[in-house]
Amino acid sequence: MLQKYSFYWVAKALLSHYWRHPWQTLFLLVGLSAGVGLWSSVQIINRHAQTSYSQANTLLGAQANYWIRSRAQQGIAQQTYIDLRRAGFRQVYPVVETEVSTGQGDPISIIATDLFALPVELFENYGNDSAPGSPSDWLAFIQPPYRSWVPQQLAKELDLKAGGALLLRDGRKLPLALIQSRPGQGRQILMDIGAVFALTNEPRFSYLAVGTISPAKLRRLESFLGDDMELVENQQHLDLAQLTQSLHTHLTAMSLLSFAVGLFIVFNAVRFSLWYRRETILNLRLMGVGVPVLSAAILLETLLWSVIGTALGLLLGIQLAQFLLPGLSASLHSLFNASLSGIIELEIDSVIKAWLITLFGLAWALAWPLYQQLKTDVLPASSTGVAIDSERRARRILTLGAAILVLVAAFLYPRIDNATNGFILLGLLLFAAAWTLPLILAGSLRLIALFLPAHSLFGRWLLSDGWSQMPALRTAIMALLLAMTANLGVGTLIDSFRGAFIGWLEIRQSADIYIRGTNIDLQQLLNSEDSSDWLADSHLRIGVTSRWRDRPTLIRGADTRAPDSLSFPLAQWLGDSSADALALWRTQPGSILANEQTHYLAGLMLGENVQLETDDGLRDYRVVGFFYDYGNPYFQFYLPFDEVAKRWKYAYSRGLALWLKPPSNDVDNPMQRAEDEIRKSGAQAGDWIRQAEIRQLSVKIFDRTFAITSAMNGLTLIVAGIALLASLLAILQERLPQFALWRALGVRYDEQLLVMACPLFIFVSVAWLLAIPLGALLSWILIHKLNIVSFGWSMPMRWQMAPAWELGMLVIAVVIFTLLLTVIQLRRRLPEALARLGTLT
Amino acid sequence: MLSIRKLTRSFAQAEGSLRVLDQLDFDMGMGSSVALLGESGSGKSTLLHLIAGLDTPDSGDIEILGQNLTGLNDSALADMRRTQVSLVFQQFHLIPTLNVADNIQFQAALCGRLDAAFETRLVGRLGLQSQLKKYPHQLSRGQQQRVAIARSLLHKPPLVLADEPTGNLDEQSSLEVMSLFSELVKNAGSSLLMVTHSREMAAFMDRSVLLHNGRLSEIDDVAKV
Ligand SMILES: Nc1ncnc2c1ncn2[C@@H]1O[C@H](COP(=O)(O)OP(=O)(O)OP(=O)(O)O)[C@@H](O)[C@H]1O
Ligand SMILES: [Mg+2]
Repeated sequence: MLQKYSFYWVAKALLSHYWRHPWQTLFLLVGLSAGVGLWSSVQIINRHAQTSYSQANTLLGAQANYWIRSRAQQGIAQQTYIDLRRAGFRQVYPVVETEVSTGQGDPISIIATDLFALPVELFENYGNDSAPGSPSDWLAFIQPPYRSWVPQQLAKELDLKAGGALLLRDGRKLPLALIQSRPGQGRQILMDIGAVFALTNEPRFSYLAVGTISPAKLRRLESFLGDDMELVENQQHLDLAQLTQSLHTHLTAMSLLSFAVGLFIVFNAVRFSLWYRRETILNLRLMGVGVPVLSAAILLETLLWSVIGTALGLLLGIQLAQFLLPGLSASLHSLFNASLSGIIELEIDSVIKAWLITLFGLAWALAWPLYQQLKTDVLPASSTGVAIDSERRARRILTLGAAILVLVAAFLYPRIDNATNGFILLGLLLFAAAWTLPLILAGSLRLIALFLPAHSLFGRWLLSDGWSQMPALRTAIMALLLAMTANLGVGTLIDSFRGAFIGWLEIRQSADIYIRGTNIDLQQLLNSEDSSDWLADSHLRIGVTSRWRDRPTLIRGADTRAPDSLSFPLAQWLGDSSADALALWRTQPGSILANEQTHYLAGLMLGENVQLETDDGLRDYRVVGFFYDYGNPYFQFYLPFDEVAKRWKYAYSRGLALWLKPPSNDVDNPMQRAEDEIRKSGAQAGDWIRQAEIRQLSVKIFDRTFAITSAMNGLTLIVAGIALLASLLAILQERLPQFALWRALGVRYDEQLLVMACPLFIFVSVAWLLAIPLGALLSWILIHKLNIVSFGWSMPMRWQMAPAWELGMLVIAVVIFTLLLTVIQLRRRLPEALARLGTLT
Repeated sequence: MLSIRKLTRSFAQAEGSLRVLDQLDFDMGMGSSVALLGESGSGKSTLLHLIAGLDTPDSGDIEILGQNLTGLNDSALADMRRTQVSLVFQQFHLIPTLNVADNIQFQAALCGRLDAAFETRLVGRLGLQSQLKKYPHQLSRGQQQRVAIARSLLHKPPLVLADEPTGNLDEQSSLEVMSLFSELVKNAGSSLLMVTHSREMAAFMDRSVLLHNGRLSEIDDVAKV
């Protein structure tokens, strides 16, 4: 009873601190919620994506257990479908998937089906009355003039209102929009089969999907299908999980970094709450409160903060996830053809995970130091001396720790074979750098002491003040170093990648027009009468999809004489030059080009043989070169056209590239002329795309893919800025009596600013100078190790100084801002501080 | 040298405004020493801070060596403080990151009035010769107070303001420090206005005043208070 009562007072005494110091409370909350928020947003997104991949059964097309596809990728004729249904295969339903571009050039995908053909379990999702939308909605859906069901998020992005019709790039319009999404619809626009046929003028299905079916019936189905069709098992969600794993690991790593930086703020806030409560704790102990009661109170405080931090962090995380998701799901769609739904749900295990990690962070940043404080002597020691000594000791311990981290990292370096490993290595290096920082800061102060005139009292004062600020600033500068390093490193990665990608696009997509429609007589187009007037060159490609080493794989047949084949950008080659290797590929039968991914992800080597499954059995091809293939998660091989046509009966057209002649007397606008000819050969609008458009599209997809990375990068820097601000303000609190004394001694504000600012600028500059090589190292590892083991793409690193300068400016701005804030605060609180000079506190 | 007219200063407090100093008048001659007595909370420290230009009055005038503080900007006030006025506090009065020698020279260095001979005399008289290389936290409280006294006098300021300079010390060292202090103030030719609670300390001064209800009154016999 007495115990309980005293516990109440102890807890009250300890917690009242936060009430009296709202700024510190605010910073603690900001640190916690920013850290937890950034971390949990990515957790929520990853979780959401993984659920979407595994919940294939809610996706219209992907829910199927099997797909019936045309081997030649020509789609399925309506008659085939009717025949199947008549033969009693009621599990079979048709799907059309197609890509169109909006007026603004945004790619959007359309999925269409026949609602009445859906198996019961799906019909419940799409056509049932209990699903969102009334029966009249779906009656309108299946009857001309039809409706398009547009997911809310997508409608918002496209600025499409209910009842509006989306205008496409080529002038066509989609049926009137109904804004609502069905489970698993993702970012796809859902339409009736009839609507999409009317739109594309091409009455063929992309594939037929097969719902739950008995093995016996499946065998019957297989024998029923013609030779030109195949029944394939749906492995999409397995593939997706595998292909996207690295991407999600990357995101997780970024979020962990943000969390760590957020924790630095907490650590800082706690440092000062400790400083303020030293007296309280001391008094409580002098009054005979035992360590167990105090510990219990600290535990209570930790729990309290963890609950508040988790709640606020998750709120922020959900907001952030909602903000980041559209970009990510768009890029997942364009890269992996994966659909994420736009609605985020918070699952209980995410909450528990967030709470646990918060608790862990708080235990490290709050409970442990507070407990240490408890255990120290009851009588106060002379603080400055102890502080200087313990700072020296802390520096030594941290440096030792850093050395150990570096050793572990060196041990790990040759063993990096996946993204997780790689990020552990990066984490080790980053923390090693952060832990060495105090030593380097101390060294830089010593160095500066050498250059200051020894007899200058002002110089000595300035330096000694720098020393005294060090313990308080240390953590903030560490957080700053981490954030700056990550910012430069990741920035360089994105920049290098963008540069490599755009350069590569320029070479790869050198043709003026790309035709990809399947219902065009390409041969006729090429052989048309006076095509030589406007056509300089062309490249007809074919391909087959297959699996190699357990990954979806594309085998392409290319015209070895086409302009883009002659300048194929190779990353590695047999022989002296890439031209030699290309010549080998052209002339020597059995030579093959493989994308880099096969090398880095599947271990294929130059000169090695790949075994591919052809129509007449396994065949060996010798790898003579690896080509860059950015953004492709799949394996890809290039063989000469004739080889593919000969070995794979069902190789289908992968499109035609056209190079136009410059304007001449005969043809003053070759582009116009070419498009007329293409139209004449039966192409629909949207079947072809100009070079400028396809490049724009590719770059857009690229930028969207990295939007989330850039956002996380920027946010982490902001959090570090707050950490710096928080610790500077807290230092001010701690040092107010000092500053008051300076005032009393006649020190002017400008002199005081100089003394306060010099060490700060030195520290920040040292951190900045360190961040530059560290950032370069980080990006080097990201580009040459992590990117390669995760995605299989190699690229040259492009280091630039401009971002580093920008970062420096930004940090200086933060420092100046906080200094000004400090002086304003000092002016306001000087009397209070002076009062403390006069009395025993 | 110090002349105060109709000085008023009030603080906003929970139960309305508290008028700590109310139309206060005070004069002090060159080289004189005055003990400032008063109950706790009567406004003694407030008065000292106003004289040092660390705080601004609601109304009234303070003149030091013929210079009116009203209307001086911040850096002019700081200059006035570093050259004309020294403050000695009860505690928190040294710069913890500088050693004793630097602490002693601090204010004199700021106003460019270093005087090596006087410094040696001060240090010798205060018994700090062997402490010069030490840091404040390595000194006892009495020693710290001696360092503060040396600092406040080295540049021979016209006016020294002390706020219970010995309040933090035991009786024995208080007396020791105080007699040294008043002797050295006379040596430096400075005037001294000192807040104190103790009659013994007040006895070292030329005269004593009592702050009560916002006004000052002369005390003829300190023992009566
Ligand atoms: N910054 C301030 N804000 C509000 N009230 C203040 C402030 N400074 C002083 N006071 C009030 O003014 C009154 C006088 O304070 P002051 O510190 O001058 O007293 P004092 O005579 O020095 O007391 P002591 O002998 O205890 O040091 C007190 O009641 C105090 O509460
Ligand atoms: Mg006082």
